Amino acid sequence: MSTSGVVESECRSPGHGGPGSTAALLGCENCGLVSLEATGADRAGIVQKCGRCGHRLYGEKPFAVQRTWACIAAAAVLYVPANALPIMVTTDALDRNEHTLLGGIHELWVSGSWGLSIIVFIASIAVPVLKFGVLALLAWSVRRRPQWRRLERARLYRLIDVAGHWSMLDVYVVALLGATVRFGPLASVEAGPGLLAFASVVVLTLLATWSFDPRLIWRDGEHRTVVYAP
Amino acid sequence: MLEHGHALSVSGLLALTLAAAAAWAIALSAPLMSISLRGGNEAATLPDAIVAAWQGGEIIVAVVAAVTALLAPSLFIALRLYLLVPLALGGRPLGLAWCSRALYQARRWNMIEVFTVGVLLSLARLSALADTSPGPGLFALGAVTLLFAAIESAGLKQLWRRAA
Repeated sequence: MSTSGVVESECRSPGHGGPGSTAALLGCENCGLVSLEATGADRAGIVQKCGRCGHRLYGEKPFAVQRTWACIAAAAVLYVPANALPIMVTTDALDRNEHTLLGGIHELWVSGSWGLSIIVFIASIAVPVLKFGVLALLAWSVRRRPQWRRLERARLYRLIDVAGHWSMLDVYVVALLGATVRFGPLASVEAGPGLLAFASVVVLTLLATWSFDPRLIWRDGEHRTVVYAP
Repeated sequence: MLEHGHALSVSGLLALTLAAAAAWAIALSAPLMSISLRGGNEAATLPDAIVAAWQGGEIIVAVVAAVTALLAPSLFIALRLYLLVPLALGGRPLGLAWCSRALYQARRWNMIEVFTVGVLLSLARLSALADTSPGPGLFALGAVTLLFAAIESAGLKQLWRRAA
């Protein structure tokens, strides 16, 4: 088994190990099948895969906290040019204008499109900042404050996991404006250097969210099943 | 959350996926919006936006947009059709495990709903400057977004239980 480096897990019914041995069961993120964790001598240096779909199984994602910190740090560094440099350059008959992320939101607000300006603010500023804050809090607390408000922290993780996609909004808007407004010197829109930094920030925060393992929040805790009556 | 959504039969899922495939073909080929300014007229489709970003020198932006708004939704539909057609006919698809893992990545990177809002936002921003009108591609894109939500809410794990 260990010579090939891969263990195909067998399907066993959950609860096989009895109380106190819940760590010996691994759920597949992809297909949901619950497998028994390899134990003892087999365990060292092997990759365990789901017996049904072949997705890799982890008791804990490897280097989850380190990877999360690395991605947040890289994203935070790139967040500076993403805000400081123009994300969009517009040209019309009279002059050439550079628009930054915050500048664009301000222009929308001043021109009276408050609704749009709030949507863009949430997608481009609030969601990335929320993700930095929440992921830093989660990565810090699983090591330093493991007992603290577990359910709330798990909910925060689910929130950023769902909201994470929406920061891509401004990237699409600039790409679309660039493809549509092509009237040469009369009117044209081009992407600015800030957009590259911003797109990288969005991808890095997504990778940070995916590398964090929400199971770390529940480590060494007492378990209870919450059942919501319909 | 362990599991959510309603139970849909294989044929029900297949119907939704076929509808999504048809709408997606229109969304890719028809213009999303058009703009006219002093006699000139420009219309943009989804691939146009990616090509424009590439030609503008924003290669990474073009790649990110292509993966999240073009490749991932296409894979999402293609892989689901590949899994569902044999299941509906009573067979078992080949390479089930590989497909399911590819589908897992396609779901993660699919951001078509964000792109749809992006098109609406671009329309709103342009309408202040020039004459704009939504194209047929935008309506198809809206349909794709809704169909994806319906397909997603049925969950993939139920499919697994039937297939394996």
